[in-house]
Amino acid sequence: MPARLARRLAGVLATLFAASFVIFAAVYAAPGDPAVFLAGGRDKLTPERLAAVRAQYHLDEPLVVQYGRWLWDCLHLDLGRSFKYSDQVSDLVAARLPTTLALVAYATLLFVVLGVGAGVLAAVRQSTWVDSAVVGGTTLAASVPSFVAAIALVSVFGVQLGWFPVTGSGNGFAGTVHHLTLPALSLALGALALISRVTRQAMADAAASDHVEAARASGIPEREIVRRHVLRNALGPIVTMCGLVMAGMLAGTVVVETAFGMSGIGSLLVGAINTHDFPVAQAVLLLMVTGYIAVTTVVDLVHPLLDPRVREEARTA
Amino acid sequence: MAMTRTKTTGIRRAVTSGLAVAGLLTTVGCSGADTAATGGAPADAAKLKLTATTPAAEGAVAKVNWLLEDEPDSLDLDTQGTSAGRVVLTNVCERLYQLQPDMTIKPFLAEKAATPDDRTLVLTVRDGVTFHDGSEVTADDVLWSLERHADPDMEQSDEFPNVASMEKTGADEITVRFKKPDALFTKALAGDAGIVWNKEQVEKAGADFGTPGQTDACSGPYELTGWKSGDSITLRAYDGYWGEKPLTREVVFRWAADSALVNALKTGAADGTFAESPNTASALRGVKGLAQYYGLSTATLDLIPTERGGLKDPKIRKALSLALDRAGIAKSGYGGFVEPWASPVGSGSWGYAKTEFAAAQKELAATAPASPDADDIAEAKRLVKEAGAPTEPIVIGTDATQGRTVVAGAVRAALQRIGLKGTIKTVPTAQFEEFYSDPQARAEIDVLVADWYISKSDPMGFYDNGLSDSSNNWVGFEDATYDEKVRQALGTLDDAERADLAIDVQKLFADAAVWIPVAQVPSVLVLSDKLTGAPASQAYLYYPWAAGLGAEKG
Repeated sequence: MPARLARRLAGVLATLFAASFVIFAAVYAAPGDPAVFLAGGRDKLTPERLAAVRAQYHLDEPLVVQYGRWLWDCLHLDLGRSFKYSDQVSDLVAARLPTTLALVAYATLLFVVLGVGAGVLAAVRQSTWVDSAVVGGTTLAASVPSFVAAIALVSVFGVQLGWFPVTGSGNGFAGTVHHLTLPALSLALGALALISRVTRQAMADAAASDHVEAARASGIPEREIVRRHVLRNALGPIVTMCGLVMAGMLAGTVVVETAFGMSGIGSLLVGAINTHDFPVAQAVLLLMVTGYIAVTTVVDLVHPLLDPRVREEARTA
Repeated sequence: MAMTRTKTTGIRRAVTSGLAVAGLLTTVGCSGADTAATGGAPADAAKLKLTATTPAAEGAVAKVNWLLEDEPDSLDLDTQGTSAGRVVLTNVCERLYQLQPDMTIKPFLAEKAATPDDRTLVLTVRDGVTFHDGSEVTADDVLWSLERHADPDMEQSDEFPNVASMEKTGADEITVRFKKPDALFTKALAGDAGIVWNKEQVEKAGADFGTPGQTDACSGPYELTGWKSGDSITLRAYDGYWGEKPLTREVVFRWAADSALVNALKTGAADGTFAESPNTASALRGVKGLAQYYGLSTATLDLIPTERGGLKDPKIRKALSLALDRAGIAKSGYGGFVEPWASPVGSGSWGYAKTEFAAAQKELAATAPASPDADDIAEAKRLVKEAGAPTEPIVIGTDATQGRTVVAGAVRAALQRIGLKGTIKTVPTAQFEEFYSDPQARAEIDVLVADWYISKSDPMGFYDNGLSDSSNNWVGFEDATYDEKVRQALGTLDDAERADLAIDVQKLFADAAVWIPVAQVPSVLVLSDKLTGAPASQAYLYYPWAAGLGAEKG
């Protein structure tokens, strides 16, 4: 077990290292010159001034040297200062992270509860009008991009009806929930459809298995069968999919953040990319990769607990 | 000189299309109901009344929620000067001179300013003014601040090239000596180059000065009580303020782009904003509970030709100017919120000699008609023929924002009208900014669809861009008379004399069509109809606008 953990940890670190270099190179290669943004007003954009700015921010050094500088500081827990904001990158990220995490958590809660619920409902009422309604409804939901959902939700429930606030992320628990409901809903809508489909299919597969047939033949009540045999066996793919979708959301909140005027990680990243704010873009992207790895690792670790067959395989492997 | 671009980040542009969709959905969603929510007819630019300020306020207000289009980069305008930061900080920090809502300037923290000769400026520091930490504003703070602004690494350093020395010459007296007379220096002191910092506080904060969680170091009517990074900035009226006490006790700033900004104002979540984009104004036109004011501004839309290709020839440039449908651009690109214009600076730049500048502007209209008539087109065609029409198509550089796209289309149409070919090159916003700075990037285009504003209310703050050695003179315009007159005007302290020179300079610039002006862009104040008292002009960047803000009724 410790050996396995160590292997996994080494794998994670190697991934992060590789990812950090790829991200650094990608941000470096993006079109546009950061010195233009750093120099100040347009009348200051003389070649001499630009050269001075490049030297000041080490932008005139080769890619590998710049990366090495960044990595060295990063290993000393120093993410640097933002080019755009003069603030510490760590402070900028720390200030915006709670908003994005709360948003993703809320959206996850919504798509897991509603998506799995709808999927289960469709599976147990397979080939009835309930099933058709769920499949039809989720197909529709999946085809609506989140920014369209956001705009529609905000204009109906925010502007017309005035039930929810249209900007900001709110204060306190109640305030946050109130502010984040519409954004979380827009974010969850597409995922909700996906999860309900996966749930429905996994349940259908599990229901068709031999041991369910056997259980049914032995006269166990249907409710028990669905709960203990069908759903339990279907949980593996459902949890995996929920994890992947949630991990993906960590990187996909920008559109919703913009539509609802929330300053989260997503809008911080887009702003940083547009102004060539290397230190911020690098830190946020790396944070997103880390988040993705963390969530998928947790899913991997949880999987054997849910499914004895996977646990068995892991032991023999 | 201290030319500052309107900073518009890509994220704001990316959602502009979303705004249009939002408008559509709202209209569809409530057909038959209250459709006024998405605004009335487009504005008529010719009828926009440009005002300096709104009616005076009568009553006190506990708190006002204000929207910015972006979070300020920093609240240290010496290191990062952006509009968002200025809108906030102008209520907190005071300058040696003050720009008034009508765009004139007057001595301010410098109680008196004397010019014993053309090359000397003696500033007397106002008595009885305290910084927000309670300490007194001294001549030492003033001198230290001026020296900080003049540091080559700081944003305002380009305002100090003519300064020979700055020293303390009395208990509350600073004397600035110049290598040659500098007509724009006092104007710069009404801008960011005149901010007086509390030396002790700035030095204490070090590299963190101006970042969230720090205190301010100023003496204005409001003090900074909090900046929660990514959330909000709060100002509270400073009890020890030396001047008139503000009617509004607290101002909370938040930020949102396009549709989020529009929705926040529509639902009353915010009380007001100075709209940077005409689209915002147009989406909020006619909304119940909101008033709109259009103010004097120096901002313009322009075409900036490069020396590559056909537009290198002044005749072709003049022909293009004659054939351009400016009224059409104003209407379809900007909802009527910009006004066809014949010079590269808006009427807010007329901080003196307003009548003379207005008359001169009218004369220039012959070179830049709002809607070209048959004579204009005939004259343009004649110019093209005389120049020998270029065979290569003219490449128009733009990004994908709505307004610029429309301008680019109009330029192509104008070229077609006079027998020339145009192609449009669209680049991402991040890359677009490079056109302004990088001659290599510019080598791909013949003309740039640009916007520009100057921070000073003096046309001469612009015309140095036409000097033969200016980095913003892309066509290689060289005219000894022009250079001579610009230098002379910049050294002429008398307003009337300088106005005469400026008008000559402006005419030479227009005759050579160094830039091709398109429209002037007013500043737009959107305000809850329960509030009033804020200036509507571009002075909101340099004048404590919140201090005058209050309830409409007492």
